[in-house]
Amino acid sequence: MEKTIETQVLVIGGGATGTGIARDLSLRGVRVILIEKSDLNAGASGANHGLLHSGARYVHSDIEAAMECRSEGLLLKQIAPHCIEETGGLFVAVPGDDEAYIADFPGMCERAGIPCRPLDVKDAGQMEPCLSPLLIAAFEVADAAIDPFKLSIENMNHSLAQGGKYSNHSQLKEFIRKDRKIIFARILDTKTNETSRIRADIYISATGAWAGFVAAMAGVDIPMVYSKGSLLVTGQRMATRVINRLRQAGDADILVPGGVVSIIGTTSLRVKSPDNIFPSVDEVDLIINQGKQMVPDLGSRRYIRAYCGVRPLIGSGGTDDRDLSRGFCLLDHANDGVENFITITGGKLTTFRLMAEKTSDLACERLGLPSVCRTRYLALPQTEGSGWTEPGVSLGQGSSFHGREEMMCECEMVPASAIDAIVAGIRKNRAVPDLLSIALRSRMGKGPCQGSSCSLRVLSHLYNRGEITGPQGVDGLRRFLNERWKGERALLWGTSLAQSSLKEMIHCGLFCLELGQGDLP
Amino acid sequence: MTEYRKMDCDLLVIGAGMAGMVAAARAASLGIRTILAGNSGSLIFVSGMMDYLGVYPMEARKSVADPALGLAGLRAAEPDHPYGSVDHEQILQGFDFVKKVLGKAGLAYHLSGGRNLSVLTAMGTLKPSFMVPKTMEKGTRLFGETAEKKSLLVIDIKGLQGFSARQVAAGMEHRLARVIPVTVEIPGISQTIPPIVLAQLFEDPKVQEAFVRQVLAFSDKVDIAGMPAVCGVHNSLGIQQRLENLTGLPLFEIPGLPPSVPGLRLKNAFETSLAASGVTFLSNVTIKDPVFNGKKFTLTGSTDNRELSISAGGVVLATGRFPGNGLHARRERIVETIFHLNVHQPVTRSLWHGTDFLTRQGHLVNRAGIETDKDFRPLNKRGAPVFDHLYAVGSILAHNDWIRLKSGAGVCLVSACAAVDRFHKRRSKAGP
Repeated sequence: MEKTIETQVLVIGGGATGTGIARDLSLRGVRVILIEKSDLNAGASGANHGLLHSGARYVHSDIEAAMECRSEGLLLKQIAPHCIEETGGLFVAVPGDDEAYIADFPGMCERAGIPCRPLDVKDAGQMEPCLSPLLIAAFEVADAAIDPFKLSIENMNHSLAQGGKYSNHSQLKEFIRKDRKIIFARILDTKTNETSRIRADIYISATGAWAGFVAAMAGVDIPMVYSKGSLLVTGQRMATRVINRLRQAGDADILVPGGVVSIIGTTSLRVKSPDNIFPSVDEVDLIINQGKQMVPDLGSRRYIRAYCGVRPLIGSGGTDDRDLSRGFCLLDHANDGVENFITITGGKLTTFRLMAEKTSDLACERLGLPSVCRTRYLALPQTEGSGWTEPGVSLGQGSSFHGREEMMCECEMVPASAIDAIVAGIRKNRAVPDLLSIALRSRMGKGPCQGSSCSLRVLSHLYNRGEITGPQGVDGLRRFLNERWKGERALLWGTSLAQSSLKEMIHCGLFCLELGQGDLP
Repeated sequence: MTEYRKMDCDLLVIGAGMAGMVAAARAASLGIRTILAGNSGSLIFVSGMMDYLGVYPMEARKSVADPALGLAGLRAAEPDHPYGSVDHEQILQGFDFVKKVLGKAGLAYHLSGGRNLSVLTAMGTLKPSFMVPKTMEKGTRLFGETAEKKSLLVIDIKGLQGFSARQVAAGMEHRLARVIPVTVEIPGISQTIPPIVLAQLFEDPKVQEAFVRQVLAFSDKVDIAGMPAVCGVHNSLGIQQRLENLTGLPLFEIPGLPPSVPGLRLKNAFETSLAASGVTFLSNVTIKDPVFNGKKFTLTGSTDNRELSISAGGVVLATGRFPGNGLHARRERIVETIFHLNVHQPVTRSLWHGTDFLTRQGHLVNRAGIETDKDFRPLNKRGAPVFDHLYAVGSILAHNDWIRLKSGAGVCLVSACAAVDRFHKRRSKAGP
C-alpha cells in the first residue's frame, strides 16, 4: 500500500521559482511540500549567468519586463545581500554594432526609470581593462551578480524552518483526477524506486521548461517551445562589473562575474526537448568568437566549464489575459477545467520573487485564505553550510585552513568539515548523500582539475564515515563523472585536454570505471 | 649567465616517461651512445602496473583473459594499431627486457605466465594487467577459482586520502568469503599525509612495528591482507617481507590515486639503470628546433641557465601525449610540438569526445597521434617516412586508445624496443 502524505500545497520543481513559492507560502502559514525530480536548480535556475538585471537589457524590447527587473533587483539587494555582489554593469558597443540602437539606449532607459550613465570610452577602458580598445560607446548601469544556488538553498532553508518540506529525487509520475480536481499525485522516489501519494488542496507546477509535461499529466495542454542557451565559465574573473554588449540581444553578449570566475553567454538554439542537452563544440566556438569582439582576452582564456539550460517559451496557444506580464506566465488551470492546478513558468531569475508572490496570491485565493505576502520586506536569512557554492568564496581563507583542516578539494579549498556539514544537511532532509548532491552544494570538483582527485577523496571519506556502504558508491562516482563531463567535453583543448587525459588515465585506465562491476575478470 | 655546450651521440631519446626510459635502456644494452632528455617526473603519475592488452574488443563487456587472443583479434581488425607492427613474441620479449632492467636496478616485478592478472584497486574494482610490482603479486592470486573460500583483511591508513578499506571491502564482499576492513594509525600523522611521504615513513622500523601491532590481532581471522601501495620507497619487497614475517600474514599492495609510490619506485629504478649503463640523462631539458643536415640531427636543449646543442645520428620521439606536451591541442587542431609532424586526427573538434565520459567505445581524440611505418618511423602526408632515423614510440602513436584497451605499458615498451632495435640494425648495416 502506498504511503499517503497530506498537505495544503504541493509545489513541483525545485528551481528559483519553486523554492521561492515554498518560502512565500510557508511564511503565510500555509503547509507546503516541494518535490524535485533531481535536486535544487537542476533546470534553468542552475544554468544561467547569475545576473541580477538592472533592466537595461530589456528597454528596447520589453519595457514592462525592464521595469519589473529594476524594482525586483532593488528589492533583492535589500532582502538577500548575502546572495548578491553589487558589481555594477556596463553596456558597450564595438564597431559594426547598430548605431541607431546605441543612440536610442539612454532615452529608453530614462523612459523605464532605469539609471544609466554615459561614459567616455577611454574611461570605460580604464574601469575594465579587459574591454576591447575599439569601443564606440559605453554606459554604466546598476547590474549585479547573484548566486542562484545559494538563493534557492536559502529559500528552501527558510521554508523548512517555517515547517515546509522538501523531497529531492522525487519525480511526479501522475495526477489522479476526479471531475474538475486533482485528488492526489503519485510520486516516485528515484533512489529507492518506491512510490507514494501526496494529497494536496492545490498543486503548483513550477517546472520551467517541463511545464508542458506536468500539465499534460493533469490533462491540460500548454504548447511549449524550447530554446537552449549555453554559457562558458572562465578560469579566472575577467572584469569587476557585468559587461553587456550594447546591441539587440544576441549570442555571447553578456559577461558576468561570479566570485573568482566570469561567465560568458549565451546562445539561443531551438531544441525538441528540455532533456539530455549539453553544450556543443559549435556553440562554444560561437561564444568565444562573438565574445572576443567585446573582450578580446576571451579568445585565449582557459575555460573550466560549459553548461546550458532551456528557456521555457510558451507557444502561441496562450491567451493574452492569462499573461500577467510578458516576462513570465502564470496559468490558472481552472480555465482549462482543473480547479486546483496552477502553472508558473517563463520569467527571469531577477523576477523569481515576484513570480512566487503572484503564484502564492493565486494559491491562497483558491484556498480561501486571506493572506499577505511577506517576502517583499522580510530579509532572507543566511544559513550555515550554504556558503560554499559561490565560486571561490573560500579561496581567501585558504591559509587559515592549511595544516589544520583536512582538505578534500584542493582546487577550490573545500575542507572535510564543509563536506561533513553538507552531508548532515542532506541527511536532515532524509536524503542519501552522494557525490552529485555534495557537488551541487559545494565548489567540490568545479576547479581546474575537473574533479579527478577530489571525487575519489570525498568518496573514500564518505565510506570511512559510514555515509556510504555497499557498492553503490562507485555508481555515484560514475554519475558524478558523467554529469561533470557534460560541462567539459566541448572545452577540451590546451591544458584542459591534458587535465582531462589525466582524469581518464586515473578513472578508466587504473580504476576501470567504464567496465562496470559485473564485467571484471 | 647562459652556458653553451655541444654534445654528440648516436641516438637522442626525447621524453623520459615509460617509453623513453625503455628506449634508452634498450639502446644502452646494444652499446649505442645515447642521450636521454626529458622530465622523468611524469612517472609518478603511472600506476606502476604494466598492461599488455586488458580489454579487446572495447565493446566486450569484460576484460580479456588471454592477451595473445586479444592481440590476434586486434591485429586483424585494426592493423594500424601500434601492435600491428609487432607480434606476441616480441611483446613478451619486451616485458621480459623491462623486467630484467628493473630487476638489475633492485625493483622486482612479477610477469604473468600468459594470462592477464586481476589487480584489486583502491576503488574496490579489479583491473586486468600483465606485469605488476612483486609487492602486488599475491593479490593477483586472490581471485582464482577458490576465491569464495578466502578471507581478506583490507588495511587503510589514517590520513592517507582516497583510500578507504571499507570502500575496497564493499567492492569485494560478493567475491570472497569474508572481507574485514581495518584502519591503522601511524603515530605522528596529524590530518593528512601524501602517499610518498607515508612510504618514506614505512622505512622506519618503529612505524613498521606500530603497523604490525595493529594488524596482528587479525592474523588468525584472515588468509591474506591488502594495504595501500606505501610499503617503502626503497627496498619495498624487503619491507613487505619483514611485515609478513612479523604479522604472519601474506601481504600485497593495492594501487591507488597518483602521485603513486610504485611510479616513484619505477622512476628511481630507471634512473639507477641509466646511470649504470652509461646513458647521459639530461633531466628537465626542453628540446626544440630540430635541424637535419642530410646526415645528422641537431637539436637545441635548454634549461633555465644552459643552452645545449645536441647532435645525433637518430632520434626517438617519446614525448607522450597531452599531459607530457608531446601533442598539443589547439582549439582547431592537434599539433606535434617538436618536429611539427603530421598528426592523424578527427576532422573537427566536435568529434574528439563522445557525450558519455565513461563510454566503452572510447573517445576519438585518444586515437589521434603519429602514424608510422612498420619500423615506427613517422610518416608524412604522402605516407613516406619523414626521416630515415626518426622514430616515434609510446603513447604518442596513433590508433592507440591505451586507456580503454589497457595496453599502455605494453605499447610503450614494445615500440621502444622495436624502434631502437631497427635503428641499431639499419645503422650496423650502413657501417659506422
